[in-house]
Amino acid sequence: MVEELFNTENQIVNIVLIAISLLLVMGIAIVLFFYFSRNRIKKVQLDKANLEISHQKEIFRSTIITQEKERQRIAQDLHDAISSKLNIVSLNANLLSKNDITLEEANNIGANILKVTNTVLESSRKIAHELLPPTLQKFGLEAAIEELYEELFDTRTFKINYSVNYTQNFLASNLELHLFRIVQELLSNSIKYAEATIISFALETKKNSLYLQYNDNGKGMDLENSHKKKGLGMIGIENRVVILNGKMNIDTSPNNGITVTIELNK
Amino acid sequence: MDGFLDLIRDITIYFSIFYPLLYIKSFVSNNKAFKIFTIYLVVIAIIQFSLVLIVKMKLGSNIFLSHFYFTTQFVLLSLFYAELLKFKWIIIVMTLVLIGVAYQFIDDPSLFYRYNPSGFTVTQLLIVIYALLYFYKSLSKKNEFLIVNIGIFFYLLSSALIFASGNLIFDVSISESVSATLGDINIVLYLAFQFLIFVEWWKNYSIPKIKS
Repeated sequence: MVEELFNTENQIVNIVLIAISLLLVMGIAIVLFFYFSRNRIKKVQLDKANLEISHQKEIFRSTIITQEKERQRIAQDLHDAISSKLNIVSLNANLLSKNDITLEEANNIGANILKVTNTVLESSRKIAHELLPPTLQKFGLEAAIEELYEELFDTRTFKINYSVNYTQNFLASNLELHLFRIVQELLSNSIKYAEATIISFALETKKNSLYLQYNDNGKGMDLENSHKKKGLGMIGIENRVVILNGKMNIDTSPNNGITVTIELNK
Repeated sequence: MDGFLDLIRDITIYFSIFYPLLYIKSFVSNNKAFKIFTIYLVVIAIIQFSLVLIVKMKLGSNIFLSHFYFTTQFVLLSLFYAELLKFKWIIIVMTLVLIGVAYQFIDDPSLFYRYNPSGFTVTQLLIVIYALLYFYKSLSKKNEFLIVNIGIFFYLLSSALIFASGNLIFDVSISESVSATLGDINIVLYLAFQFLIFVEWWKNYSIPKIKS
């Protein structure tokens, strides 16, 4: 009788002890699982953040380089087209101030000054125009693209087909400028680097979306290898697509031209 | 061995009074969850103290206090997790369970002088589930009260079983040593829980926060 009682007692204690141990082991397993998952998730988040930071640094770097290049170009333009010409004007004006010149000479000098001043005016207008096309602000994206086409068409070494079907004010004017720059940069890439002879692009707006399809028959590029070292122009385009909140797809391979599709949703 | 366990028992009782003081010190400058947790510690300390008092003054059975212990623990920890997890349904579940427990007592008033295994198990396991949900929520970001959460998870999970088997002491066929063993295990687990509460305070709240 006593032994029996003892056995039941022991059994109960044992069962309870085993159950508690099992619960503890299970609990430890859950906490460890939690701890390791947390570490892993943290690591993934950190990697992602680092990647983002390095990407931003890259964007920042390319922005600065682009800015410096642009400044250099403007300085060069100002120097070549304006400063040096104004020097001539100043020299001629200096001649005019001398007392021992004849009327004929004075007339010649005056004509020369007028001629040079006119070219300076024309150059400064051109520089300003390149910096910010006035047509875009005054008449909108469609007119600006048309103008871009006309300017390029003057050179006639290639053929451009384009169609623009753009609903006025689909984009805010500052965003229109980005889109315009994208088209400008693509055209300049095709002509300067890819040596394309046939270029075609279409810009179309629908109810809530905008499509830009661009292709040329130029040299194209090796996307896989150029990925590490993209041209500044391409990085600029990518950044502008990001600002426009759009999606871009580039399809190209060496000697097969390039097709770029950009899609924006309102 | 018994002397050692008695020592631990005394330590847990003194600690349960000591911790609320630490937490009260930082009461004002902290958020709602911290305040609820501090109230929980204070209430538990009062119940612990009453338990000891009843035993020392030989006032009879102290089992009725267990009902206060479990109910307040359930209510305050539910509010604590409702605050941490930002889930409104925890309050609804809490109300339903309280109604259920109240019905148990109306149905059988003598329950007051026994343990209430089903009540203990349900309330403790609900808190364990909330602790698990909080683990899940803390996976991807840094959250406060993680160490206390580990403590609550372990202590409530293991002690649920001990308290659920508490009515064994009324079983005449089982000697007192069994319930004593269970009580000892509970004390050790409780000390570990208290230790984690202290670590939480020491790591995250011992240095006053700079107000930003």
